[in-house]
Amino acid sequence: MPGVTSDSGELNSLSVVPHTLDTQKPRVYPLRLHRVTRPLARLSISWARGNTLRVSLLQTDDAASEQTPGGEVVEVKLGSADAGEIPEAQWRRIAYGSVAPFALLQSRKNSMDALHYEKDWWEHVMEYSKEINSLLGNTKSSVPPTIEDPKTVLKKVEEPTSLKAAWELMEMFYADKQSQTWIPERLLDWLADFDCLFSGTQPTVHAKLVSFQNKLVTIQAVENHPEYWEIMSSALAVGWLDVVVKLLRLHGSYLFDQLGSREIENGLVEAVALLISEMPRLRPDMPTEKIGECYSTKPEFMKAWEKWRAKITKLDCSAFWLQCDHQQTRVGLKNMLQVMLGNASVLSNVTYHWIELYISHFLYVRPFTVGLESMYSLAQKCMHLKPISYRHKLMGLIIGILEENTEVVLAECSRSFGPWMTTHAIELMAAGSTQAETLLHEEQSKIGGICIEELHRLTYAQILSSHALTWNIAPIYLTSCLKQGLGLLENLLYKQPVQHHLVLLKSMEICRLNGLDYVSYNMMKIAGVHYWKHGKKGSAVFWLQQARDEVRLNRIAKHLFDFVGKSVSDESFKQWEGMIELLGTESKTAGGLEFLKKYRDFRRSLQQVQEGITTDAARKAAEALISLMRNPSTPQQFWLPLLYDSLKLLNWQEGPLLNVSQTNLLLNKLQELSLARLLPGFVDAGLPPEALQSVRLALATNLGRAILEE
Amino acid sequence: MDKSILTLDKGTRCTAWNYSGQRLAAGLVDGSLLIYDSTDPASSTFISTSRFKVQESSILKVVWVPPEYGDAVACIGADGTLSLWEEVTEDTEGHHWKLCKCFDRNTSQVLDIQFGDAETCLKLVAAYSDGQIKIYELLDTLELEKWQLQAEFQNVIDLVSNFGHASCVSASISWNPQRSEVQQSSFVLGFSSNVPALNSPKVWEFDLDHQRWLPVAELSLPEEKTDQVSAVAWAPNIGRPYELIAVATQKGISIWHLGSNPDADGRLSAQKLATLSGHDSEVWEMEWDMSGTTLATTGSDGMVRLWQSNLNGMWHEQAVLTPAS
Repeated sequence: MPGVTSDSGELNSLSVVPHTLDTQKPRVYPLRLHRVTRPLARLSISWARGNTLRVSLLQTDDAASEQTPGGEVVEVKLGSADAGEIPEAQWRRIAYGSVAPFALLQSRKNSMDALHYEKDWWEHVMEYSKEINSLLGNTKSSVPPTIEDPKTVLKKVEEPTSLKAAWELMEMFYADKQSQTWIPERLLDWLADFDCLFSGTQPTVHAKLVSFQNKLVTIQAVENHPEYWEIMSSALAVGWLDVVVKLLRLHGSYLFDQLGSREIENGLVEAVALLISEMPRLRPDMPTEKIGECYSTKPEFMKAWEKWRAKITKLDCSAFWLQCDHQQTRVGLKNMLQVMLGNASVLSNVTYHWIELYISHFLYVRPFTVGLESMYSLAQKCMHLKPISYRHKLMGLIIGILEENTEVVLAECSRSFGPWMTTHAIELMAAGSTQAETLLHEEQSKIGGICIEELHRLTYAQILSSHALTWNIAPIYLTSCLKQGLGLLENLLYKQPVQHHLVLLKSMEICRLNGLDYVSYNMMKIAGVHYWKHGKKGSAVFWLQQARDEVRLNRIAKHLFDFVGKSVSDESFKQWEGMIELLGTESKTAGGLEFLKKYRDFRRSLQQVQEGITTDAARKAAEALISLMRNPSTPQQFWLPLLYDSLKLLNWQEGPLLNVSQTNLLLNKLQELSLARLLPGFVDAGLPPEALQSVRLALATNLGRAILEE
Repeated sequence: MDKSILTLDKGTRCTAWNYSGQRLAAGLVDGSLLIYDSTDPASSTFISTSRFKVQESSILKVVWVPPEYGDAVACIGADGTLSLWEEVTEDTEGHHWKLCKCFDRNTSQVLDIQFGDAETCLKLVAAYSDGQIKIYELLDTLELEKWQLQAEFQNVIDLVSNFGHASCVSASISWNPQRSEVQQSSFVLGFSSNVPALNSPKVWEFDLDHQRWLPVAELSLPEEKTDQVSAVAWAPNIGRPYELIAVATQKGISIWHLGSNPDADGRLSAQKLATLSGHDSEVWEMEWDMSGTTLATTGSDGMVRLWQSNLNGMWHEQAVLTPAS
């Protein structure tokens, strides 16, 4: 295929976030055909919510056998939130859990003044970072075993994720201002927790330790085993002092039956163990199970360090070595002393990848390293000594952080750890340095004037929107985007299936919280029309009223006029009564509805007249009739049916119900009506032809009787 | 992650998803229309719920009516007819699809249609094989039966000249997706025809003062004006100060930047940002995602391609999806 590299990738890792660093050729992703076979006649595409693309694959007619269908639709999710490392359900838990800390941080940011921002902001960011980190799983084993097996040198813990490892790196370098002075020690702790992640792709100290531990139960005299000494030097090099001391105490010279013969040997082992446990550490405190002496200030630490190194040198030159008969012990312990004395070639021999070597250099070669610049040059040196055979995604991230290249860090984050990570880690990066903050918040005219921070939030929100279980948290991220967030939120809401009641309610709530009334009106309108067309007239009127859609409500009112204007049977009118009631509650929304309400009252009183024959009721009905006929909102098409229905009132036995002026009003209306008949656009009420005649006669009779009365 | 979500019936010629992606309409070679539904908003399994005969000839294209006007589709037939079908529930017949409107059939065929202006007064733009553009307006917001011809013109800048004997093979229309009651409605339209002047995509905007449609921009360089256009797509704009429109011709896909402020003559500035080649041959369809940043295209090479701009404004092909058994 011309213009396309041949490597094919996993759809999960498909990144749709633009970077400045993108120079590579497009990657090719296979679209698996499940039911159809090639050749295909046509492909049709449609974006669903978020970043979901639906592809219709249509089969050619000739190629298809009887069994093959006409085609299929394949749904492709372009990129996932976490680059595919975490199972979906757990990932959703993280997605939901991170909403609250993120929202809280945003609201704090908005309410903070500039002065405090400079000073205290990182504390809020740290609080946020800790909460997010706790969602990513726990690497520390929670309950220590009650009976400690001396042969368990490495505690079994839950397998950590790269995502957590990456988060902790970001926190350490960007957010945690308190630990800036002892970053090497934090990096050491970090590697202790996450060295296992590298084991899958390359040899590591952790992997060696695990395999040795598995053998340990079957080994009789460990000190005769070369691997025992190798693994101790390695663990010592990367600073896992507790493990080393524990292993040293497994040395055969500690056994009771050996006491007489191996005192010197045992003494040397114990001396080394003692030196290890006295190692000065530049850190404020340490977890209880770890060993070493903590110093929180640099001068104290330097003093202690010099003293400690002097002790090692002294032991190294001691005459006791000559008296140690066990050769492996002598060589092994000497090698460990070389590790502690910072012998570069020994360190390089006992570590497996550059990060391990890097840590060993911090511990034994350059313990006073501070500042990212010198840390980066040291990292480069270590990478040179231990070339990268497999570039793990965490290595890419560390390098980016150390070379202080925000763009690389961003690109690594979004490429290797996905949009969730990028969106949330940007908060840490922005807190890290002014330079990073500027880069993240600078408006990019080439992408429509948004900043990088907003770009990543939009991307993440789009991923959230593509799933029915997470779309409702997307608005939190969208509303934190000043420029294009609301625009995308609107588009997202317009794509919601509002005929589902719960979806409609949820969408309305989101609109209410974000001042998007016009969007919510539109959704209610869509729901109203849907109900109207599907026979749920009551719900239709309700939602259209909520939507304040006067155009459609008037149209419905007109529909009702047409209906009640033509049919006078009480049966069918009953069906409409409920809706008139509903429409009437906010009669101002539609002018014609006021009439309908009056008309309903009139029909009711007319009905009473027909049931019981009281003059009072008849008088009330007559009043209602007059008020209806006077009202300008009463449509002309109703005049005749109203009068025709009221014939009984007009011919009331016990005396005229209408006085002279009232009767004249009705006669005038009748006159107007006969003139209107000649005009185009007249709506005929569909009454019997003699209706007009009988009304006129009744009115004339009534007038006569009224004149006689007055 | 890709998964198959529905199986289409034999003879399917075209498909169209509704606004929420919960229903699919599929047009068949025998003139039937099938509706597939997902009952639950959270599920992505679809089943066929209706099948009805629209016409005798094959259905070439199905377009959903905006949801503010109900559940309805417009179908273009191979014989050039255009009809509107609507799903309704009536006391007498229950839940069914009924024919609302069959647009007058004259000598020319309908090539493409699109609905727009759903916020105020629904409009239907139809492009015909004789190079004519007709715009119909819906007269009644609740009834899809009553339409009125609002305007009829040719896709040329110079409105005086008339090309009598145009013969167009295909046309593509795309409305400005902006939902706004304030902004004037506009759309872009291009033809693939034997009359060069009709081909190039023009942006048409309704001029309220003079009550007529005016061409406000032409999306082609002078040397490309005669190129036949196979597809156009107007990107959703969630806050950019300019519009983006993609145009596909046999020479490739170009991305256009359309300014928002008209000059003294009422013209909008149009600038070509990129020319992208990939499908080698004809581009079938183009669609922007809901943020207007990623363009998906399909073409006769049988691939789906995704295009994007990087932070430096450089447009490039981001990924290729290739069907594989």
